[in-house]
Amino acid sequence: MMKQEFTVWFGKLRLDEEGGIMNCSLFDKDPEMLSKVVTSLQENVQSVPLKRPDLREAAIECGFVELEEDYDILLREVCIKAAKSQISRTDTDDARIIQAVEALDDIDKNVNELSERLFEWYGRYFPELDMTGEELARFVASYGSRANVPAEHKLFEKASSSMGSELSFADEELLRAIANNICSLYDTRRYIENYINTSMESVAPNLCNIAGAPLGARLMSMAGSLQKLAAFPSSTVQVIGASRALFKHLRSRAPSPKHGIIFNHPVIRNAPWWQRGKLARALAAKISLAARTDFYSGEIDRSIAEALERKLENIRQANAVAPKKEPHPKPHSREKGSKRKQGARNRKKGGKS
Amino acid sequence: MPVEDMHAGIHELDIGGRKVLATRNMMPGMSVYGERLIVEDDVEYRQWDPGRSKLGAMVLKNFDIPIEPDSAVLYLGAASGTTVSHVSDMLTDGLVYAVEFSPRTMRDLIQLCDQRPNIIPILADANKPHSYAHIVEKVDVIYQDVAQPNQAEIAALNSKYFLADHGHLMLSIKSRSIDTVASPKKIFKEEVRKLENGFDIELEVLERKELDPFHEDHLGVLARLFVEDEQ
Ligand SMILES: C[S@@+](CC[C@H](N)C(=O)[O-])C[C@H]1O[C@@H](n2cnc3c(N)ncnc32)[C@H](O)[C@@H]1O
Repeated sequence: MMKQEFTVWFGKLRLDEEGGIMNCSLFDKDPEMLSKVVTSLQENVQSVPLKRPDLREAAIECGFVELEEDYDILLREVCIKAAKSQISRTDTDDARIIQAVEALDDIDKNVNELSERLFEWYGRYFPELDMTGEELARFVASYGSRANVPAEHKLFEKASSSMGSELSFADEELLRAIANNICSLYDTRRYIENYINTSMESVAPNLCNIAGAPLGARLMSMAGSLQKLAAFPSSTVQVIGASRALFKHLRSRAPSPKHGIIFNHPVIRNAPWWQRGKLARALAAKISLAARTDFYSGEIDRSIAEALERKLENIRQANAVAPKKEPHPKPHSREKGSKRKQGARNRKKGGKS
Repeated sequence: MPVEDMHAGIHELDIGGRKVLATRNMMPGMSVYGERLIVEDDVEYRQWDPGRSKLGAMVLKNFDIPIEPDSAVLYLGAASGTTVSHVSDMLTDGLVYAVEFSPRTMRDLIQLCDQRPNIIPILADANKPHSYAHIVEKVDVIYQDVAQPNQAEIAALNSKYFLADHGHLMLSIKSRSIDTVASPKKIFKEEVRKLENGFDIELEVLERKELDPFHEDHLGVLARLFVEDEQ
């Protein structure tokens, strides 16, 4: 209680209750070693007595340095070393987000395969059931056999009059297990999405603000890092994801190879086709600026969003009327796909907007 | 071109009738963030844009700047070092401890520290003075620009741990970090009240002025640690 130990960057001090130095054991004057002391004390915080000696005076009193000047020179060297090593350890924030984005893709792939399997298999027992994806998985997980659908359920009629074959107990157990797995993958997916949203807010707040967290994270992931994204000219940002090799899971639904993933941004997706190119160019420019601001200053700059809004509004006003002819017919004919395909696409869409 | 000394190390240059705030460049020939270098009578100055620096705005708002050439300064919220570099210029015989918690921003700050002999970088959260008490000595001035909801608390906590007797605290309070809808005036009043009476440390507010037109909705505050034997 009376005596207290207080470790400082140059040694261990034993203090009396008035904060006077009773004893000091000094560290070696080795900057490398001292910088490790400094970082480890930053991470494993000690209790700090309010009454304590001034560090500079203590260093001289204990004979760690003779001149104040030496104190400054050594402390500076030690702290720069410490800060550099801390940065190189934490500098991988964007790498974590990129892992998360890739985990989302892995999950989507698994969910799609398992969901199709469940659809096909369960369809034999309940072909009238008009469900896919998560809805189907939740249904199978909770009821299993048609016979378990309760009377008050809106599908009770369909379930009891179904033309499907009977479900054996063994099959029911299996299908439920698969369905439960799918449900938990969906849960994990939401969990990862949340993680991306919150991490993006702290790692790349401006990018998050302009592109939205999911698209921002995806751009970062495709570029390879926030640094690389920040280094891209905006014309490149506009087509990131257009190359099939880069964005392979979009393969099935990429609208057109010259359009990058920023076309998934609602500003563009919801715009009439003749405005899209111009809007995409404006958006790409601001995304690029936002990534640079995040990388180089880390501070939130609201003026980027304001300037973007003005620019978009100008484009909308200047191009309010459709031109005579659509230059290239857009392959939106996909709507005609089979029911199952549509289900699969909707499932995927959840994560990519 | 006349040079007027506004305070030790802070000058106002008259460039063709236009007044320009500047500090004397400690590292002649080097511009830190793209600011203009101006040579007069063989002395090189770095232009200091008050629109980019709350401390610069406080100078132009005639705050009694407590930073002297030999001061030890604890700077909380150093960012990439725009303002820190001017503080460094002023401290010809002093030292600034620059605390910043964003690693990305710290990377730029370290480049500045590499160039200049009197900046000590600390990657830490200003909410946790315990985590840098083994590095920072007793300081003459704490300058704070963190734009956090608990700005007053952070300032008081650090003053308690690091401010020397008779030391000064300067801070910039951003009303929108505290509340985006309430009136800035009301927020400022409450924050100043908190500083004076809200914590277990006696701070005496000496000056308070809004920093417009340089920074909207920001209040500059100069306070001093109240020491009993003064009475
Ligand atoms: C408005 S900026 C400071 C600008 C700087 N003072 C200048 O004029 O050059 C605020 C900075 O404080 C940092 N910051 C915010 N909260 C912090 C905390 N609790 N600890 C340390 N730094 C913090 C932010 O990362 C940001 O870089």
